[in-house]
Amino acid sequence: MSDEQPATEIGHEEFDPNGTLALILIYFAILVVMWVFMYFVEFLGNELTVIG
Amino acid sequence: MDIHSYEKIWLVLAVLLIAGFVSTVTYGATAVGVQMIDDDGGTIDANALDEDPRFGNPRVEQVGENHYAAYVVAQQFIFRPDPITVPANSTVTFYVTSPDVIHGFEVVGTNANTMVVPGQVSKLTVTVEEPREYGILCNEYCGNGHHTMEGKLIVQPEDEYAQGGSTDG
Repeated sequence: MSDEQPATEIGHEEFDPNGTLALILIYFAILVVMWVFMYFVEFLGNELTVIG
Repeated sequence: MDIHSYEKIWLVLAVLLIAGFVSTVTYGATAVGVQMIDDDGGTIDANALDEDPRFGNPRVEQVGENHYAAYVVAQQFIFRPDPITVPANSTVTFYVTSPDVIHGFEVVGTNANTMVVPGQVSKLTVTVEEPREYGILCNEYCGNGHHTMEGKLIVQPEDEYAQGGSTDG
C-alpha cells in the first residue's frame, strides 16, 4: 500500500447525498399515495360508514 | 446546530406528512361525519332482555320520516331478527345487545362493526342506499358454534318495503 493516496476533505454542506434524498422522496410519495388510497378509497368508500 | 440542507427537506416533509394524516382524519370526522361507537346506547339487564320493550321483540321499527331503528339481539349462535330488513335510501340505527357472552356485530365488508357486550347496548347509525343484501357475522369468539353465527341485512327497494314484503319470506 502506498502512502500517497489522494485524500480530499469536504465541508458539511459540500457533501450532497443525492441518492438518499431521492430514496426519501420515493418513500414519501409511496406513503402519501398509500395513505390517500387507504383513507379515501378503502375506508371512506367502504359504505356503510358509522355516522352516529 | 448545523443541519444539512437536505436534512431540513426531509424534516419538513415528515412534519407535513403528520399534518396530512391529522387533517384527513379531521376531515372524516367533520365533513363526512364518521363517528366512533361509544357508550351512548346505555346499559341494560342482560338477564331480562325478554322484558325490555326493545329487545323482548327484536325488530325493525320506523322512528322518523326516513329513520329506522333495528333492535338486534346477538346470542349464541344467531342474530335476531334474521334477516334484518330495511328500506333503501334511509338512515338506520342499530341497537345491539347480548344476553349471554361477548359477540361481534359486523356488516361484512363495511365499516359498520361493533362489539356486543352483555349488559351494554351498542348503538350505531348508518345510511343505506341501493337495495342489496349484506352478510352479518360475529367476529368475537363466542363459543363452539361461533363459526356458524351469521345473519343477513336486506336493503329492500322502498316500495317493496312499504308493502311489508320480504324478499325471501
